[in-house]
Amino acid sequence: MRLLHYLRLWLACMRYSVIRTLMFRGDFIMWSLVELFWMAVNLGLIGVIYRHTDSIAGWNQWEMTLLVGTSLLIQRLLMGFFWTNLFEMGRNVRSGAFDFFIAQPGPLLFMVSTRKIDLDGFLNVPIALGVIIYAARQLGLDPGAAQIAVYALFIVCGLAIHYATLLFFISLVFWLQSAKGVEGGYFGLNEFSRLPRQALSGVASVVFVYALPVTIVTNVPASTLLHGIDWTSTVWLVSAAVFWWVLAVTLFHVGVRRYTSASS
Amino acid sequence: MASFAKYRHAFLIGLQSNLVYRWNFAVRASFSLVHLAYVFILWGAAFAGQTSVAGFDLRQTLTYFIVMLILQFFISAMNEDYEVSEEIRNGLINQFLLKPINYFAYRFSIFAAARLVSGSLALLPILIAAPFLYHYVSLPSAGWTYVAAVPALLMSACIQFTLAYCFGLLTFWFLEIQSFVILSLAIETVFGGQVFPLDLLPRWLYEASSYLPYYYQMYFPAALLTGRIGTPEEALRGLVIQLFWVFALYGVAQLLWTRGLRRHTAVGG
Repeated sequence: MRLLHYLRLWLACMRYSVIRTLMFRGDFIMWSLVELFWMAVNLGLIGVIYRHTDSIAGWNQWEMTLLVGTSLLIQRLLMGFFWTNLFEMGRNVRSGAFDFFIAQPGPLLFMVSTRKIDLDGFLNVPIALGVIIYAARQLGLDPGAAQIAVYALFIVCGLAIHYATLLFFISLVFWLQSAKGVEGGYFGLNEFSRLPRQALSGVASVVFVYALPVTIVTNVPASTLLHGIDWTSTVWLVSAAVFWWVLAVTLFHVGVRRYTSASS
Repeated sequence: MASFAKYRHAFLIGLQSNLVYRWNFAVRASFSLVHLAYVFILWGAAFAGQTSVAGFDLRQTLTYFIVMLILQFFISAMNEDYEVSEEIRNGLINQFLLKPINYFAYRFSIFAAARLVSGSLALLPILIAAPFLYHYVSLPSAGWTYVAAVPALLMSACIQFTLAYCFGLLTFWFLEIQSFVILSLAIETVFGGQVFPLDLLPRWLYEASSYLPYYYQMYFPAALLTGRIGTPEEALRGLVIQLFWVFALYGVAQLLWTRGLRRHTAVGG
């Protein structure tokens, strides 16, 4: 029943977002182009590096494209569902506009996270999927239904981890003067999702593979398509998603207790 | 002299207001070390099994990215476009229309102060990481590269600021400029050499990029400081094109300002 209530709230917000997007069509086209260009930048980097080398940590060009495509897919979903909401949260806490969310008759984090959706983020999801499918074809892969279902589950886990990481960073605004620059931490960490796990060793491996789940978020799903399902990795990724979700939500609620309205 | 004093005060106010956000700059600089770690791992893996890529070894390539990171905090425009945009949208710009102050010079003074603060704070985490980074630094021995780098850096800062200023002025025509800014940032990230050294591009594309202003925003001074510009003649050619872009962009900024003001409606008292 409660889930149904949340769904109704989210659908109302979605309707509002679609109407708003239709009002600012030019903006929608521009943002779609922006996202497309950023995707091209990431793929362009792979193209340039592989002009001068055959392998990065044992991954060939199309395996890397599959990895980067997976990273782009998760990021587009994050952009579509949550990015604007969490980014604006940082500004709203500073300006006092966060009061508006506290006053709403709904769970605070749900209201903060789902108020808007970005259709331009979703528009590029098929393109990211196209990159993955094209790379898989180039590699001659023919994944079964179970492999594809587990891959989809991993994408959902990846989205949960990205959401939690972003929420974690933006929630620091409750302690800092502003979140300006802090969200850069998210993008900095996200870069590691485009690296093969085998490229990391020593301290980097401990930090970016085991302590922070940034690398496994993409490596586990990409490896599922490349080499089949590995149940140890499945447990690892699902557990990481749950852990980071709990950590970020806890930090958010502790931060909310520090919040003092800035409005008059 | 009195004219200079106005902008000196603007600079000092800019210093104070940017010091308020010192922790944000420090956090941002620390995060950029995370980016540097990514770059080291990626390029380290790409160099595995080979001593050079496009004529440069791993140390030279990593030095390029270290220099690029430091320059970002000293010369790149960060929020200047949004600040100009906000002042136009909120009507705060009206006060400058009534006073004997040049808005471009005023904003440039604030920009200079902001970069002094962000650059100084960025040096702290880099100095902490210096014992580790030191092994990867390989700077050119030719003195002329450093002589040429000084005007190149100053002109890069001017280009960075003027481009951001121009995007801010687009608010006279468009309600929302963020998409323009991010699109430009994406182009700048590639053609400014922040994703990879531009000399790794196919030759024709590299030559074409050397005529764009983005090349002179960051890549050109970084390439001078890391020995990727091989001859004084090449450096001189770059400086001439860079000077052209400084004046051309200033001209565009003046045009946008005068045309934009004709559309501007000052409301309120």
